[in-house]
Amino acid sequence: MNTKKFKILAIVDGVLIVALVVFMFALKGKYNDQAQSSVKEQVGAYKATVNAALQDQWKSMDQYGMAWKLVYATVTGAKTEAAFDANVKQIFENTDARFKQVSYMYTAASIPAQVQNDIAAVGLADKFLLKDEGGVKEVACGKNCVATFKFVKGKLKESDYKALVEYKFADNFSIESPKEFKFE
Amino acid sequence: MNIKNISIVLTVLLVFIAALVLMQKGNYVDQATEHYNKTTDASFKGGKKILEYVNNSADVNKLVWAMAVEANQTVKTSQDMAKLEAKYFPTTKGSNSIANKTRRFEATSAYFIVSTFDKVDEDKKTNLKTLSALKSIDVGALMGEAPTAQEEEMPEGEEYEEGEE
Repeated sequence: MNTKKFKILAIVDGVLIVALVVFMFALKGKYNDQAQSSVKEQVGAYKATVNAALQDQWKSMDQYGMAWKLVYATVTGAKTEAAFDANVKQIFENTDARFKQVSYMYTAASIPAQVQNDIAAVGLADKFLLKDEGGVKEVACGKNCVATFKFVKGKLKESDYKALVEYKFADNFSIESPKEFKFE
Repeated sequence: MNIKNISIVLTVLLVFIAALVLMQKGNYVDQATEHYNKTTDASFKGGKKILEYVNNSADVNKLVWAMAVEANQTVKTSQDMAKLEAKYFPTTKGSNSIANKTRRFEATSAYFIVSTFDKVDEDKKTNLKTLSALKSIDVGALMGEAPTAQEEEMPEGEEYEEGEE
């Protein structure tokens, strides 16, 4: 190659180098923003999933606690529909006692107060009595748990809280491991 | 340096910078992935631990509740209670307080029930005192009404373990 060609090559190289350096810095900013927003978004989404699972458990424990109180009151008290209805109402409406019971369970499980407060921010369960038709009453005893009580002419005929006695906590409360990170 | 050498150096430099441009995205992806994995893994482990701790504690709570409910329907004497305890918790025994006519069963320091009886019976041959005529069962600890995880010590000399029959 002659000198002239080398000159042209050097100039082209120089121009391309400058262009690439500019391009590189522009990309740097873009990738940095992209990385930050991707991480923020995906970490946030995962943390929300974990929180939802914890809050789900908290609400279920509330229903579980209410269900036992109701079963206990039914077994030890008057076996009439009126007494049962009054118990359901009293247990469900006494939110202080409900909170105390769930919180006691969490403290017994060595969950620190601060962590409990974060989870408890979701509030207590909003449902307890699920069905009340023709003397058949169903109450929620946790996630995927229903206890049934049947009344005939105002008297308790049948109590079925097998689901509560056999409730498998580990099968109902778990958290999926995080998905793979996507650079989007 | 002549123009030939300059142009060769520039060409090499150009290739080098082009390579940097191509690799730069990978660096950001690696860094972001590392940060994501670290943060989400901590969240996963922390959340899983809470769920497990609560699940395990609730498993014990459930057994004590079930036992208390069954006791209300079937138990009459402290021996009946001892049998029921052995059914639900084979390795834990309750203890009678003859003076108070109560029997306390502690599955854990947080979950316990106290049964109150009406009578004290004494076996004439062995002088073993037992309780009978169950009056009530205090499930306050199951309802969250006890001081958490605090062991309430019974007065000394009043309790003894009921033997399994």
